[in-house]
Amino acid sequence: MRNSLRFTGVGGQGVLLAGEIMAACKIKDGGHGLKTATYTSQVRGGPTVVDITLDDNEIRYPYANEGEIDFMLSVANVSYQQFKNGVKPGGIIVVDPNLVTPTDEDRKKWIIHEIPIITIAKEEVGNVITQSVVALAITNTMTNVLPKQSLIDTMLSKVPEKVHAANKLAYELGEKYAKEAMAAN
Amino acid sequence: MAREVIGNGNELAAEAAIDAGAMFFSGYPITPSSEVMHVASDLLPEVGGKFIQMEDEIGGIAAALGASMTGVKSFTATSGPGISLKAEQIGLGFIAEIPLVIINVMRGGPSTGLPTRVSQADIGQAQYPTHGDYASITLCAGSLTECYTQTVRGFNLAEKYMTPVFVLLDETIGHMHGKAVLPDLEEVKASIVNRATFDGAPADYKPYDVPMNKPAVLNPMFKGYKYHITGLHHGHEGFPTEDAVQCEFNIERLVGKINVVAAENDGLDDLPDYEEYMLDDAEVCVIAYGSIGLGAYEAVNKLREQGIKAGMFRPIMLWPSPAKRIAELGEKFKDKIFITELNMGQYSKEIERIIKRNDFTTLLKANGRPIAPADMVAKVKEMM
Repeated sequence: MRNSLRFTGVGGQGVLLAGEIMAACKIKDGGHGLKTATYTSQVRGGPTVVDITLDDNEIRYPYANEGEIDFMLSVANVSYQQFKNGVKPGGIIVVDPNLVTPTDEDRKKWIIHEIPIITIAKEEVGNVITQSVVALAITNTMTNVLPKQSLIDTMLSKVPEKVHAANKLAYELGEKYAKEAMAAN
Repeated sequence: MAREVIGNGNELAAEAAIDAGAMFFSGYPITPSSEVMHVASDLLPEVGGKFIQMEDEIGGIAAALGASMTGVKSFTATSGPGISLKAEQIGLGFIAEIPLVIINVMRGGPSTGLPTRVSQADIGQAQYPTHGDYASITLCAGSLTECYTQTVRGFNLAEKYMTPVFVLLDETIGHMHGKAVLPDLEEVKASIVNRATFDGAPADYKPYDVPMNKPAVLNPMFKGYKYHITGLHHGHEGFPTEDAVQCEFNIERLVGKINVVAAENDGLDDLPDYEEYMLDDAEVCVIAYGSIGLGAYEAVNKLREQGIKAGMFRPIMLWPSPAKRIAELGEKFKDKIFITELNMGQYSKEIERIIKRNDFTTLLKANGRPIAPADMVAKVKEMM
């Protein structure tokens, strides 16, 4: 069973790290995971897309096949518009409604959840950098592709110890908002 | 025991260099190769090696060549624009016969091109990176594991043949992050090749007085064996010469020590120069290398699911090319050969040269984007 996930944002938002954590977690649990990023030569602000492929069997091609993506999360409109068509019809898309504006047509084609990811990180966790962990929690809660504790452990192994508490909180909040969004839909 | 690690291709290439015995890195950061440098700067001091970030690309290779002349295994890393800048010094490496590993993580060109985007447009450049006659050794990693194993191999070939060796990665392979299974570290250490040295009387030492198709024997500088190093044509002790017989011998030997040796021995070492997948019963042969081989592998599987017996040939040693095998495939598959590469056909030309036909089908791309397996499948179906 292959899971194909995509994170999109702009350079500097930390979407690359979230993808790396998911791939590493799948590998640590005995499977195969690949993360591949495509970005522009702008240091900050250029559209960035991260493809994550998880499988119990070997994966060679590291990019998502367009039209086969199960889940996409987007925190920037420029990237959302550019990369949304990779998601399969009926697939799940999570957007930050303060930054991304899906069209009515999009809402018919995909299951779109709106979660204010950046605001949660900034105001409820108190550190905007944790947005990638909020995104990570939302992704895994909605797709259920990785065991929660294993994912949290992998995440904590990749962030400095002094921010462990903030990142744990970010994960819990992401999970809570994801569950609320799924219940409301 | 084989080691399972998680990393990206650039990191694995740098780790391989250290495991292969490299003790010196100099270079200048450039996307998409910079992680090679980052890791080298972390690891080299830990093993007692030296790392220098130089003022520019030229300094980056010049210092590495100098370090290698003292007998220290050295490497540098860059991308296509950096190779262009290093071209003159690469020539010095060829003619003076200085071992060096040059990792090129390919991005779109020409010039500064597409800094963050994937390309395989430096295949021709790797064959002829600088003016003059010489033969290049170029390895092309087609997986995370090969970023490691081909870098180790690059060091061994550089020492064995006394020459700069290119290890080509591309942006996709360099940056993709996942699992790699690496060979046992003791096995890697046991495979290490060190350059030959002369241990007779210093007065008898003539580093370039070697037979046709044999590499020079360069003792480490500053260890009591004196000789001259120059980019000019040189005689037995390295001093400049314009002697017509000597100059002809020099060039024949420079080319022959790689190309003739590879042709006579079916390669430059005992390691595989290519990977074949499902070729035995195939009716169409997909040829791809580097990261494009990753998509080609999936395309072969998809084609088989759809009833088309496809197989893949993926060259690893691009230069000198595995010509004997390519010629056999040309005979076997006739016009059912499909070549896909991220440039305007740089390796297709080599295949055309070998099989002496151009009746194959190509899927070429040079816009900085990868080639999707679905596009390969569609093109192969048009052929059948």
